[in-house]
Amino acid sequence: MTNINGKTYAMNAITPMNAFYTPILKLIFFILGHVKPLQADLINLSFIHFARWVVVKRHKFPRLSEKQPEEHLHYDYLLFFSNFNGTWNQYIDAFADVLSNGLNLIWRWSAKFPGSRPVTAFKRYIALVQFDTDYYYVAYPRATANDVKAAHRVNAALEDFARNSKDMTPADFGSAYLKFVTQVQADLGATGIGPVGT
Amino acid sequence: MPNQNGNVYGLTILSPIINAPAGDVSHDCAIRDYLASLPRDHHSPFAKISSTHLARLVVMDDVVFVGTPAREEHLKSKYLVFETNFDGDLDAYLASMARDAPDEVHAVWQHCVGYPGTQDPAAFAAYMKKCQLETTFFFADVNDKTVQQTLRALKVQAGVAHFIESNQGKSPAEIQAAFRQFLDKVRHAPEPLAGEYERTHVPARGQGAVVRTQPLAGEHEGQPNG
Amino acid sequence: MVNLNVADIQGFVLRGYNFPFARYLLLELAGPETGRDFIGQIIPHITTGQRWDSKPRSTVNIAFTHKGLSRLGLPDATLLSFPVEFFQGMKARKEILCDTGRNACENWDEVWREQTVHVWLGVHGLTPSALDERCAVMEQIMQQTAGARLLQAQDANAIFIDNKPCNKEHFGFSDGFGNPDFEGVDRHSQPGQGKLTKEGNWVPLATGEFVLGYPDEAGELPVAPVPHLLANNGSFMVYRKLHENVASFRAYLDELSRHYAGGREKLAAKFVGRWRDGTPIELSPDAPDPALTADPNRNVNFTFGRDLDGVRCPIGAHIRRVNPRDAFGFYGQLVNRRRISRRGLPYGDYVPDGEPVSDTDDRGVIFMVINASIFRQFEFVHQQWIEYGNDAHQGSDKDALLGNHDGHGRFFIQGTTDPQNPPLVCSRLPQFVELRGGDYFFMPSLTALRLIADNSVDPR
Repeated sequence: MTNINGKTYAMNAITPMNAFYTPILKLIFFILGHVKPLQADLINLSFIHFARWVVVKRHKFPRLSEKQPEEHLHYDYLLFFSNFNGTWNQYIDAFADVLSNGLNLIWRWSAKFPGSRPVTAFKRYIALVQFDTDYYYVAYPRATANDVKAAHRVNAALEDFARNSKDMTPADFGSAYLKFVTQVQADLGATGIGPVGT
Repeated sequence: MPNQNGNVYGLTILSPIINAPAGDVSHDCAIRDYLASLPRDHHSPFAKISSTHLARLVVMDDVVFVGTPAREEHLKSKYLVFETNFDGDLDAYLASMARDAPDEVHAVWQHCVGYPGTQDPAAFAAYMKKCQLETTFFFADVNDKTVQQTLRALKVQAGVAHFIESNQGKSPAEIQAAFRQFLDKVRHAPEPLAGEYERTHVPARGQGAVVRTQPLAGEHEGQPNG
Repeated sequence: MVNLNVADIQGFVLRGYNFPFARYLLLELAGPETGRDFIGQIIPHITTGQRWDSKPRSTVNIAFTHKGLSRLGLPDATLLSFPVEFFQGMKARKEILCDTGRNACENWDEVWREQTVHVWLGVHGLTPSALDERCAVMEQIMQQTAGARLLQAQDANAIFIDNKPCNKEHFGFSDGFGNPDFEGVDRHSQPGQGKLTKEGNWVPLATGEFVLGYPDEAGELPVAPVPHLLANNGSFMVYRKLHENVASFRAYLDELSRHYAGGREKLAAKFVGRWRDGTPIELSPDAPDPALTADPNRNVNFTFGRDLDGVRCPIGAHIRRVNPRDAFGFYGQLVNRRRISRRGLPYGDYVPDGEPVSDTDDRGVIFMVINASIFRQFEFVHQQWIEYGNDAHQGSDKDALLGNHDGHGRFFIQGTTDPQNPPLVCSRLPQFVELRGGDYFFMPSLTALRLIADNSVDPR
């Protein structure tokens, strides 16, 4: 299944937008990009490595040669690329449950978008506008976004502990080690094979 | 600068695919065939373009008709979508593509309009920039750690878990000695491989066979763990 | 306020009855006509969700696998409109459920491994004789109509301690707390059973999470087979026979508690998230508290928001895995569509702690789940939260007690520098629970049963 590599799913979607709405969406993205707290929910959901939206204006499809026919399109297009952990259903369920306003704000400008709640109609729409990935590479396929963040925390804690405990007596080392263990103890889940469909 | 988030660059490339109906090669099919045979693990060309965190290639056939009253319309060309998330600088990345994975890049992009080859890195970079779309909004959960830092941290995480497990119940002096050895191993560990599916101590699909425990960074098979 | 049509809903969908004895009759249907005949005769015996003035001596409920519905001659269009996981049946879902290795169907009871179960006829009794009498009546109907044949009768019963039934299972844990509270059900609702509001109050969940035909937490009528009349007031049931390796569990506790300053009982509590008497460790981390456990206003009334580092209740503890409450943030919203209503009883002889016991003895728990969507609720909780740990930030680690580890599992118990609550790694986790069979069932309403019996299901 080429949409998935290890524990990450590559979703691609393209939706048509009435060109009149494109500047509004661009403004919304501008605000999202500059008002960091609005991204807090995405960060707290913690199952996306990277995601992006790309607005392609109808005259801006790349044209590399005179021989390549010019596109004559009515709509602007919104491309969406996500790299997420979990199953397709889980991902969409989570967004519809906790971020439905944000989703609506981004996709309401796309033609025939049914709203992100109730979720069944929303899933039908996504299935319609999603197209499959042909080749997907992940540098750390057995790690989810959570694993990556946990690993960085453990690594930082190890460096601090190594530095601080360098010349300690065994007794002091024992206490410092215990403290170190309590620092990293929530971040040591094994990376490995994930469930089917993730 | 919306293409960038922290130290990570989100590159979106749309390369029009050659449409030659009279020819006996369907270029989009050729790309798909080639991609199906390309390895996705540490043998992937993107492991060689080593600043790549996650990357995908997609042949986009057409836009979607979402149903009346929306209008039906069609693209006149197919496009190869290249979405990649990498550390640092665009120019360095494009140069790496041409230098470190020229064969694979060529095998894919030879089917695209205006592709000049990889022998002239400047021409290649200019071509790719012509195909580049500006990312309107780029989200990155972690935007300040390189691929190598991430791979190392994952190995360290596994190593620390294993260390704590193996040394549970030992005396502080014993743990201290073991810890010094462990640190040494960590510091001298070779570069982990990007794209690799590490072996883990979870048996595949319930085979029940004993599988070796997760390797410490740099550990070779058969050596005792620190 | 939702008005549940309790006369139409089978009682087992709404509550677990709390009868100490049960016999689950697993049947094969003979054919469409005799099968429908059989159902027609059974309908008057079915216990509904109506309130009891006085408790009956026994109850009867019925549910069907997809193959069973097919044998009854339901129209193809209806059969195809059932969800795919129900169509496939539990055996075919083994990859998703990690029912591999020791849990693979090669190890199941013959009835689940080789035969095709069409009907689950659940009989509950206050006494063994009440149970036997009711089952005899069922047997009579089977013979009279020649519509069904008994493949296996699975007995289950509450564990008796000092001649009184209790709510323990064979590992010694008190079970049955925290079944979800949903709108319209006539029951004493306990704080902590429902869902959390933004303000931190507990309110009932939407009915449609557990009963088809009512709005669910997504704000729509749950996906259901056609026609409505067949689906409404019905639900889906998962049945799993879980063998418990009590010897391994006790031996593992013995071995590991030698390294654990908190002691053997606390270690056991850390696995589950409740002391063996049922006290939630989140509320009482140092010792069991019988008064708390006996108080319905307190024994499920807790959240994990102030224990995000897991030092009271480990992040990977069983009850925290299957019902994270507010542990994922978003005031618990991510959990609302993943709740399951549990039913079941232990089977096999009880051996108290300290007395000799063997893993090969036949004992365990018959575990059942009631939910509107097997895929979205049971399968999700099992696949993502029991056999995996990413949502809880525990990587690929599985549930210590229920996970399919086969000797390779690992469980971190988070601790503090307090010597009575140290961190502990539980490694090389043995397989404590093994699957011995089961399947997915549809539990129709009384109206739907009549439709089926009359052969008047019309999918349009």
